Amino acid sequence: MIEFSLNGESVRTDVDPNTPLLWVVRDVFGLTGSKFGCGAGLCGACTMHVDDTAQRTCILPLSAVAGKRITTIEGLGDLDNLHPLQQAWIDHSVPQCGYCQSGQLMSAAALLDQNPNPTLTQIDQAMSGNICRCGTYPRIKRAILAAALAYDATAKEGAQV
Amino acid sequence: MSIKNLSRRRFLKNTAVVGGGLVVGFSLFGLSEKPFPIVTEPDGFVPNAFLQFTADNRIIFYCPRDEMGQGVMTGLATLIGEELDVSPHSMEIVHSEVHSDYANPALGFQVTGGSTSINAHYLPLRQVGADTRALILRAAASDLGTDISDLETQDGQVLYQGETYPYGLFVATARTLDPVSDAPLRSVNNFRYIGKQTYRTDALAKVTGQADYGLDAQVDGMQYAVLVRSPVFGAKLLSFESADTLKKPGVTSVVAISNGVAIVADSYWHARNASASLSVEWEETPEQALSSEQIRTQMMAALESEDETTAVNEGDISLGIADARAQIEGSYWTPYLAHAPMEPMNALVRLGQNDAEIWLGIQSAQAAQNLVSRVSGIPTENIVVHNLFLGGGFGRRGVGTHVVEATEIAMAVGTPIKLMWSREDDIQNGFYRPASAARVRTAVDGNGRVTAWDIKRAGGDITPGTVKNLVHSLFPIAPDWLANGVSGTVGFLFNNLSPDGSSVEGLHENYSFTNVRVKNTSVDHGVPLTFWRSVGHSNNAFVTESAMDELAVAADLDPVDLRLKNTLDNPRLNNVIRIAGERMREMQLPEGHHLGFASHGSFQTDVAQVAQVSVEASKIRVHKVLCVVDCGLAVNPDIVRTQMEGGIIFGLTAALYGEITLDAGRVKQSNFHDYPMLRVNETPEIEVIIVDSKTEPTGVGEPSVPPIAPAVANAVFRATGQRLRDLPFRLPV
Repeated sequence: MIEFSLNGESVRTDVDPNTPLLWVVRDVFGLTGSKFGCGAGLCGACTMHVDDTAQRTCILPLSAVAGKRITTIEGLGDLDNLHPLQQAWIDHSVPQCGYCQSGQLMSAAALLDQNPNPTLTQIDQAMSGNICRCGTYPRIKRAILAAALAYDATAKEGAQV
Repeated sequence: MSIKNLSRRRFLKNTAVVGGGLVVGFSLFGLSEKPFPIVTEPDGFVPNAFLQFTADNRIIFYCPRDEMGQGVMTGLATLIGEELDVSPHSMEIVHSEVHSDYANPALGFQVTGGSTSINAHYLPLRQVGADTRALILRAAASDLGTDISDLETQDGQVLYQGETYPYGLFVATARTLDPVSDAPLRSVNNFRYIGKQTYRTDALAKVTGQADYGLDAQVDGMQYAVLVRSPVFGAKLLSFESADTLKKPGVTSVVAISNGVAIVADSYWHARNASASLSVEWEETPEQALSSEQIRTQMMAALESEDETTAVNEGDISLGIADARAQIEGSYWTPYLAHAPMEPMNALVRLGQNDAEIWLGIQSAQAAQNLVSRVSGIPTENIVVHNLFLGGGFGRRGVGTHVVEATEIAMAVGTPIKLMWSREDDIQNGFYRPASAARVRTAVDGNGRVTAWDIKRAGGDITPGTVKNLVHSLFPIAPDWLANGVSGTVGFLFNNLSPDGSSVEGLHENYSFTNVRVKNTSVDHGVPLTFWRSVGHSNNAFVTESAMDELAVAADLDPVDLRLKNTLDNPRLNNVIRIAGERMREMQLPEGHHLGFASHGSFQTDVAQVAQVSVEASKIRVHKVLCVVDCGLAVNPDIVRTQMEGGIIFGLTAALYGEITLDAGRVKQSNFHDYPMLRVNETPEIEVIIVDSKTEPTGVGEPSVPPIAPAVANAVFRATGQRLRDLPFRLPV
């Protein structure tokens, strides 16, 4: 039996501890926003946060996340309370087929958590593990910069209060 | 344990879980005999195959084309919404089920492809919207006891004497009235939604993880399957040994089907892991000796073959060359390519006694329905297709092999089956963009007029295999011999009478040359072929636009000017060349950066591109791309821009990396480490200029792909003096 936190809820499962986290989250816990793209940690479609770090979960065994905090796209924001990146993704028409975008957003969120004002080069570095076959990269860059501004504004408001 | 369950159904398939009773609506066209495959909600009103008005004032649009990223849901909702006077953002949009009213007007059956959707539906869907609005206005006039001329509409509301009334209030009366036809359409100058800047209707679902793809479908009692296919194309299964595999965790059965051996298990992970333990013997075929070197050698040799067909033969090539100021000759090579959509192929099939359901994302729900029927014998009218979002298409999801496979496995096993392809399956067992060779001989006179344009192309043809699949996809009861016969006949025609249009498209049509000859020799190596974003244009624009650049260099002419002088009969292409050329002349370049130009019309749309490139240590870096496009009226200008951007990036991946090669008949590449995709850090800045136009809209999904490879090659020539005639580009280290 392995326990971990999934989007703030404590969960446990007795599936094979070698099972990659991606399949546990999708098939056991029914959160299907994280996608399967390569099964080899090469494309980033399966990206989730493990204790705030973006990780490729198609090759991350369940046993490695015992006791850890897992956040998926479903935990990033919800319909009534979008994460600034999700709003920026809509405003800048980022998604095309959309299949890779959960992973893109989770990588971008991990970046902004660590670096709220990234340069274009830093965005390139943080996002180069996520493939988008539709070619939404120019929009992704723009949306991250826009969300960073929103982050910044929120932080300043917070400071004034 | 409790997991927060967001209301995922809200976005997507809220009504498309059909299953039970089909409800008869009436057709505005009066053409359809079958009931619409729409579940009418209590007191809902279904005036035609495309719309439902619900009692709680929702308006549902049943989108007949498949959303694979190209923005077709937003685009078509904009068309119908323009005349219905409902914002695309005020509708619920779902993929339609299968019905003759959902046929693609350009292609005659229910399929999405060829960059046809917006053009083909531009008038028909607007007419449906206009007729439905007129019907609601008549009902409103009756209910409100006034004259239609006193009423106006705005975003799903009827306006009367300062009050607003949702359309839904009037559907009880509307259903009693005769349908309206031929209601007048809005003038292009009065559009409220068409041509306006707006975000995509599917964006919210896609940024919250709520959008459902085939991969996400689940049904009670389902098992997962993976399929071990022959590593050599077309080799038949001789025998397999499954004892070890059956002992692996979670595995419940191992069954042979027409296309390989399926491992069925309680999870994809278990099925996939167990597949490595399966020992399989395949028949030996001539294809197992095939190598890419051999294929290339044979295609290059076929350029000299006189066993050829003629696409065009006008004037006298030797006369044109005799008059020339300069001439060039060169041979080009374009490799096989995989589509590699981010979502690998998958399909979930549930078979009942005499009914079935399939969940997947496909470019033809009709083909999916027919293929399930063909395999299972269940009549098509009892088969429900849940077409979910497509995790990329690019042509790959126009082929239904995975539908056949999943249905066969479900029949063999007796439970619902979710068949999943791995990325390795996708790269190694797929359908490919044809490889081809081409030889160009061309000449130009002192006035910059091309006086000879002689092209020979050799390679595989898409259409014979496509026709065979199409027979099965359209006519589920057609026997194999018929499909093979039709396919064979088509192949015979291409070998003897006239080339496959897909093979030679784009080799000359954009230009008005004198003395033109285009010939083709078909070379079939048994590699499964299909449409790949922009199809033959993806190979052929590289040939024509590189040759035009070579000719300009040889004659010491400006490459833009050369194109302008030879497109005088093609004013729309001429105009985008002129605009891009003017911008090109103004560009300020950093040290070491060079520009390349290419233009190409395809799918009725004209595109010119300028690539800004540097080369350091044999590494090509594309810094900026300018893209000028004339696609007629841009129904959603931002989606047009994103399609131009996406097509350029798709084409750059092919230009810089894309290559499927064979060794001992097997595809050598397997996943993204050896079949790489362009990544964000390699992506150029892209500027898109859309030519202002009010003419009918034309294709945007594909036309930005063809020019980018030659634009980069032409820039690399200016940077290095090296002429790149092979794709993908490799510079000597």
